[in-house]
Amino acid sequence: MSTSATATRTSPGRPRAGRAGLRAGAALKWMYVGVGFVLALIPFIWMVSGSFRSEADLYQNPASLFPTSITLHGYIGVWQQLPFLRLLLNSFVFAGVTTALTVLFDSMCAYALARLRFVGRNVCFVLVIATLMVPFQVTLIPVFIQLFHLGWLNTYEGLIIPRATSAFGIFLFRQFFMSIPADLDEAARIDGAGHWRIYWRVIMPLAKPAIATVAILNFTNLWNDLLWPLVITSSNDMLTLPAGLTLFGGQHVTDHAVLLAGATISLVPIAIGFFFAQKYFIAGVATTGLK
Amino acid sequence: MRKKIAAALAATAIVALGLSGCSSSGSGTDSGGKVTLTLWTGFTGGDRPGYAQIVNDFNKSHSNIQVKMTVQPWDTIQQKLPSAWLTGQGPDLATPSSDPNAVADYVKKNSVLQITNTGSGDDQINVDKLAPGTVKEFTYDGKLYGVPANFATLSLYYNKKAFAAAGIDKPPATVDELAADAKKLTGNGQYGLVLADNQTIQMWPILQWLEGGDIVNAKNCSVVQSAAGQKSLSKWADLVSKDKVSPVGLTGAEADSLFSAGKAAMELNGPWAAPGYKKAGIDLGIATVPVGVDGSSVTLGSTAPLTISAKTKHPKEAQEFLAYWTSKKVQEKFSLKTGFPPLRTDLGDDAKLKNDPTISVFAAQVPDSRLYLPHVPNATKVDSDAYTTLIGQITRGTPVGTATKQAATTIDALTGCSS
Amino acid sequence: MTTSTTDRVSPRVRGGARPPGGPTPVPSARRRRIRWQPAWLFMAPSLLILGVFVLYPILRTLYYSFFDWSVGAAVQPFVGFGNYIKLFQDPSFWNALGVTLEFTVVSVVLLIVLGLLTALALQSEGLASRITRSVFFFPTIVSLATIGLVWKFLLDPDIGLVGGVTKALGLAPVAWLQSAQLALPTLIFVSVWRSVGFAMILFVAALQGVPGERYEAGRLDGAGRFSLFWYITLPGIRPTMLFATMMLTIQSLQVFDLVYVMTGGGPLYRTDTLVNLIYRDGFVNFETGYAAAISWVLFALIMLISLLQLRIFRYNDVD
Repeated sequence: MSTSATATRTSPGRPRAGRAGLRAGAALKWMYVGVGFVLALIPFIWMVSGSFRSEADLYQNPASLFPTSITLHGYIGVWQQLPFLRLLLNSFVFAGVTTALTVLFDSMCAYALARLRFVGRNVCFVLVIATLMVPFQVTLIPVFIQLFHLGWLNTYEGLIIPRATSAFGIFLFRQFFMSIPADLDEAARIDGAGHWRIYWRVIMPLAKPAIATVAILNFTNLWNDLLWPLVITSSNDMLTLPAGLTLFGGQHVTDHAVLLAGATISLVPIAIGFFFAQKYFIAGVATTGLK
Repeated sequence: MRKKIAAALAATAIVALGLSGCSSSGSGTDSGGKVTLTLWTGFTGGDRPGYAQIVNDFNKSHSNIQVKMTVQPWDTIQQKLPSAWLTGQGPDLATPSSDPNAVADYVKKNSVLQITNTGSGDDQINVDKLAPGTVKEFTYDGKLYGVPANFATLSLYYNKKAFAAAGIDKPPATVDELAADAKKLTGNGQYGLVLADNQTIQMWPILQWLEGGDIVNAKNCSVVQSAAGQKSLSKWADLVSKDKVSPVGLTGAEADSLFSAGKAAMELNGPWAAPGYKKAGIDLGIATVPVGVDGSSVTLGSTAPLTISAKTKHPKEAQEFLAYWTSKKVQEKFSLKTGFPPLRTDLGDDAKLKNDPTISVFAAQVPDSRLYLPHVPNATKVDSDAYTTLIGQITRGTPVGTATKQAATTIDALTGCSS
Repeated sequence: MTTSTTDRVSPRVRGGARPPGGPTPVPSARRRRIRWQPAWLFMAPSLLILGVFVLYPILRTLYYSFFDWSVGAAVQPFVGFGNYIKLFQDPSFWNALGVTLEFTVVSVVLLIVLGLLTALALQSEGLASRITRSVFFFPTIVSLATIGLVWKFLLDPDIGLVGGVTKALGLAPVAWLQSAQLALPTLIFVSVWRSVGFAMILFVAALQGVPGERYEAGRLDGAGRFSLFWYITLPGIRPTMLFATMMLTIQSLQVFDLVYVMTGGGPLYRTDTLVNLIYRDGFVNFETGYAAAISWVLFALIMLISLLQLRIFRYNDVD
């Protein structure tokens, strides 16, 4: 983290103007923060508690945040109707491999965009950024047909490769690389290092915070993705866990406990990851916005 | 760092490659000469085990054919199936939609196989024995493209406890009683009759039919704006917007939730809902839909089409499976398991089904059932763009005259009504 | 990497002239000719993937938009600009455009204002601040589908927590998502609820990046709290403001998941956003060509608005 801190900011004397005086202001501030705090947490508490509540309990005490009695039938329902471990494995393979490839490809691309001068650089950068503006639904049909021609439907290649780079990651790496002093690679170049060596030995080791950020943000996005795995796969054995859990939604499904259990299960890995790596999540987002 | 990354990459790549080997599915013939058929269905509800049973039994009794069923939500099938079938990647068999009219789109694209294995034999599809209207519904230009995967009628579910509390001793027998009861049962956080109007099997056409109205005539021209059409809508629109017998704008699932919460006294619904309501502890009564103003019975029939891909490599086996699915013995077992009425007319007198208190109610209404917008051009759009909007407007207080006039224009443009 | 030898810096070139005012310390323009090859190699995987799975498909979509194209139809008649003409006469397109713009403008303004306010409240590095920031940020990483599902249940007038609490307070429960007037504001609320932590984190970083000396100087000049904020803080965080506005605008213009899960575009199309319309025409009604035309209009709109924002913030940092 220390690297990112130096790379990003922290100045000792920030505005402390008038902080002493306005007590009312402070009270107002903490009230605002307090309300926000509660508002941010309650839906998740309710979701987890709802996954343990029976239908009758939920209906009779809608104002209650906690179960009057605990039932596991939501979780049992999920366990019985899905090849749970297989989906879990798929999720980790899909999100994990794709993230690893994305980090590699994005950082390579960003290295060229941030550190090399060549004709067409701005065009490339604009094209990459432009892809951020394309809603996924717009390209779904042509992409599907393309994957068919490649024979990649319902395979891991089909799931992974089209998602193995992200414009956002390239952008983030580029911003980060531009903040690394140019003297470093100049020096390496004088020592006879080529681009690959500079990228791999000089830039990447300095870019650990950016790597962590891109990896974490990508993993989260991929983990949460529903439509992509649903469209690319045709057998339930290939689905990811969150996508598989949507199979419980349907026109006539009213069992809240099962739906909420599904939502809780798909959230748990992300929540655990967030708990342990929150500084990377947050530092990552923070870096993106700074020039 | 570098070593770690490289090792992680290598490991993940190996996992990916290793797994991709066992990922391919789809139809095919393996070395033993066994044919595998894939089937996509959208039966995620309480009736799901019934279909799984059919597939299991079929696999057990047919050593040379194996059917692999994948269940996913209707939305998902709708997104994937058209391009999947176009590219020849899709399943051999599928229920493309819960809306029988959707078959028209697939016929237009030449994606579905014409079904020819029909007749009266045991291994043939006995088309003359299938529920009324279903065969006609799936026939285009004289060719049959699908069979009903199920057939359901909507009945009147009522909460006996709520009825007793309101001092009503029996379910309504006429549509006027239905309206009066709905009003009486409304209040204190309870709704008399919950009516869903979107993401649902439509309930409003039943009310219209009971009141002597309709949506389109035989020429596919709108009749919602006619005097009879407006009259049939006005009364129920007022009951919802003024008397609050139902919340406005419910989805099917939301209406079901209210009923299973005991917050709705009545609902029009299909047999799939019964197990859930019983589980939720509702003192459940199921009655036939009350008779209409002219004294005759009518209800909505609902069926999901079961079709074969035009690109299947095993058309013969696929048709054999359809024949099995719709056969008498299989359907008897299916009805008993799920509470659905039999989709065959020759099971109407089946003793086992008749003795079942739930099935018998749904089965009794099969002869009086009507499909929703059958063979109306652009039926799915008529539903989403015109009818759902119309009901949404009148239950929110738009005058029926204004709303129906607008709906009529939309409907006529979609159906190509010329008069 | 064999290319590396060609890239060695020769002293002659290093000493070469720099383009006047060239801001970057990266080597001079003269070396461009020998430099381009490794760059393309580095970019190849990403560009290939983006090209094959994003750029080419979007051009395919453009192609479809000139046809009455429908997946699998036997004939795909050419209609020229027919789909675009139809679109401008189609009330559901104008409705969706209006809904999308309303959603975007209101949620982006709210997100920027609330995000900045929250950041100002929580910019210190104390433990309480840091924990609170994490809590505020958490909803951002949860999938929209999950958030939509949970809020849909929470807001249900009869069985949800919100309805339950309203009733416990003796008020009539509100049908948030079923009311034609309230559905869109409710969606905006949920969207703001989810993303405010994202905006906050961006602004916290930006606020911490404004050099403290500037404030000192300002205070010496006798500037009050408000002047400090207006003349020092705001200009100091301008790049972040631009970035946040652009990202949030692009995201909001593409809003789909929340709509799909929570309202399906209803009631009475009051939450029918452009992407939802594209989805409906493309996947429910099988009018791929028409959906493609709407897609391109949306794409053009996003580009246009992004360029305008660059203009407004006078962002001239594209080197």
